[in-house]
Amino acid sequence: MKVSKNELMASLRKAFEGLGFQPGDYSDAADMVIWLETHGFDGFDRLQAALNYLNTTAPIHADLIQEDAHDSVLDGKGTSILLCGAEAVDLIRSQVVPGFSAGLELVNCYNRSFILQRLVKAAQRNYAFIAYWRQLDYCVKVSIEAGAELPEYQTFTITETLDPQSLRLFCGADLALIEEQYAAQLQFGTLLETFTGEEMMDSYRDSLEQGIEIDEALWHTLDDLVARILVESTDSSRAGAG
Amino acid sequence: MQKDPQSLGQQTHSNPQILPLRPASQVMQLERLGSLHQSRLSFMRTLIRRMVAENWQITSSVFDLDEQGYGTVVYQIDATFGIFSYVLFSHYLDPDNRNDRVIANQWDLTMALCEGTVDAEQLEFLRANVPKQEAGRVDSRVLVLSRANRSARTFDYVVDELTLGRQPDVDVIAEVGYLYRTTAAYGSGKLGMADWEKVRTKHRDFARPFAAEMFTCYMLRHFSMQQADYLAAQRAPDTAVPLHQDIKRYIGIGNSTGLGMAPFLINHPLLINQWIEMRETALATVVAASETGVDKATLERLDKATLRVIQHLGEIITADERQSNSNVVVRGELQLLHRWLQEQGAALAKAHFVWADLVQYAEQQWGIETQEVINTLLIELYPELVDGLEEQMGVEESHQVTPEMSVAQLLEITEDKYDWALAIDFERFESMGVFWYRSQEKMEPRLGQTNFDMGMEKEMPLAIGRRVRECYNLLHDYHQAHPRQNVAHFILNNPHYSGIVARIQTMAESQYGEIRGNLIDADVLPIHLLRCKLSFFGVSKFDPRSRLWVRNTMFQGAPLISDFGKPFVDDWQFPIKPVLTAR
Repeated sequence: MKVSKNELMASLRKAFEGLGFQPGDYSDAADMVIWLETHGFDGFDRLQAALNYLNTTAPIHADLIQEDAHDSVLDGKGTSILLCGAEAVDLIRSQVVPGFSAGLELVNCYNRSFILQRLVKAAQRNYAFIAYWRQLDYCVKVSIEAGAELPEYQTFTITETLDPQSLRLFCGADLALIEEQYAAQLQFGTLLETFTGEEMMDSYRDSLEQGIEIDEALWHTLDDLVARILVESTDSSRAGAG
Repeated sequence: MQKDPQSLGQQTHSNPQILPLRPASQVMQLERLGSLHQSRLSFMRTLIRRMVAENWQITSSVFDLDEQGYGTVVYQIDATFGIFSYVLFSHYLDPDNRNDRVIANQWDLTMALCEGTVDAEQLEFLRANVPKQEAGRVDSRVLVLSRANRSARTFDYVVDELTLGRQPDVDVIAEVGYLYRTTAAYGSGKLGMADWEKVRTKHRDFARPFAAEMFTCYMLRHFSMQQADYLAAQRAPDTAVPLHQDIKRYIGIGNSTGLGMAPFLINHPLLINQWIEMRETALATVVAASETGVDKATLERLDKATLRVIQHLGEIITADERQSNSNVVVRGELQLLHRWLQEQGAALAKAHFVWADLVQYAEQQWGIETQEVINTLLIELYPELVDGLEEQMGVEESHQVTPEMSVAQLLEITEDKYDWALAIDFERFESMGVFWYRSQEKMEPRLGQTNFDMGMEKEMPLAIGRRVRECYNLLHDYHQAHPRQNVAHFILNNPHYSGIVARIQTMAESQYGEIRGNLIDADVLPIHLLRCKLSFFGVSKFDPRSRLWVRNTMFQGAPLISDFGKPFVDDWQFPIKPVLTAR
């Protein structure tokens, strides 16, 4: 079946609310899922994986476990980027000062692809970002220039030991400054694949024009989560209806 | 006690070159928002201006009704930038099943506004889904889905009179004001429809907020009168007469609006800010236009419009005591304005900033509803200064944390911009006397009584004031312990407050947007919220049926499709009973 972006947004927000997400968190999480799906990154498959976890526990946020002037480490405690991605991007943004970029490692977290939407949104505030993480047997690198609307998404062979559940994030005034300051940490293997902004935009335009294809089972799963926030209708409650 | 504004023209004024917009502390009070009337910037007004000026061509490509008026009609709309189809299904509805509530599942009419032309296959798809409304699914070729119920009393009366070769009595029409009433007009991607972003970027004809939804209601009005003419002609082909054009213009579309509209205002503060700011900009602009005096013709137009509003309010029938009393008071105060314009006209024409003095006088001496009527009337006087603002009524709703901001600064912003929220005493039981929740019945928003109704644990997050207070207390404590920290660190320690922090920081950059009222107070009047939004839609004849829902009329007085492309004076607001002219 096909759904619209707005319809999906409304459903996801309520579904995440049904999972115990707070205002702000549920909007952020819905934005992340929709961005990934509409830009061609299989957001629904990743959502399904996230729901398998989120449905088993109360929402968990990351803890700050290490911090110096420009670098910090967050412990995701096994939670999803849907819950801790916004915090990570907010924290690293706050650590950028003129002339200095900032680095952050988010350990023990899942569903890292969802971070893309947070980077795109923060880039609109004139911050540049580079993020990378290990995905199966390759490395994903995402970079976005300050002010850009779309990132560059590349995959590389793995050249260093990467924790399978960590995400490394760098933020600065522009990409060149980040690459200069963190050159040692930004070494990648052989380029495997590039997903261009043009491809992302084609996918987005198609989603907008035709609607977004969603598996009916997933849609019903969302409906079931939404039902958690609904209140039984009674004669008394109908008196409070307009 | 009402006072006579004799001294108005003699008041001195500080003569600012650029008059400031009214402060949010005044404009965003719930009661004032609940006193707003439509203006030139309201969406029905701007839609009508566009359709008439651009001479949209609207023809029925399918008109397949039986002798009872049931069947299918498809109108093709040739607008300036695109072609659209308005598909309508007319069904038999047992009067016992006629229900205007959101929870209804049958209606007299169901409609869809679609992009492009509609072929046989799509028509069948629509026939299978549109009559089901929320229980059906449509696709991204559909822009708006709507439904309507017949006013059995008015509709049957009008058809009977036309069948007998007579025009209906205008007084009977005036009691109701419409032949059909719409109970919902869904757009913005609901039920599989086109996203607002698609509508805005692909269909310039409907690229303004709610333009497609308003158009859907306008076409319903057109059909309602066409159907009445059709039925009369079917019953008495030789003697029936069509509705008089003046009566047609006086017939609108009924509307009932309930709590479903309220959360929209709270969840779209940037959009509300934009709407209010444009209206306030219009008001400040016209007030400034009186700097060097006002010509006689303008004064006469204001006087004429004042008399029209007096008559309009006198023709409203409402059982709501509060609204009825208010209408009486406004009429009395407008009579004083009329007298003042009559007696002081010559002097006023030479006065500086006479509109500033009038606005100030009204604020000091008259009620809020009268003040807002006057503001609306002043805006009407200068279309050339105001109408351009209609293109600035849209904005993207996006809230974002500014994590690098210091906690100290966020505290300051909260104290400055949310002083109204911090002034609410949430220790009082009455301050949290109600809560908002979504019902299992079509997710309808409802209002529950604290400690009485079920569902408080599932409360909708509409209590912005309370959330701000909670956040402020945490900020204060955090700042005491960590005086040099920034917002990012505060959120790491208080992750549940990221949403309200983003809202405070985002809204701090705008003037309006936050409704300055406690929406969970035991005595809250949600109809103020509804009326605010409805005023921007452009409805008239507010008839509150309780504190939770309000009846109103859409497009009453508006031009007909047959008026498109002809010379047009945009003055159909505040409709009054027509005095029939020769055809």
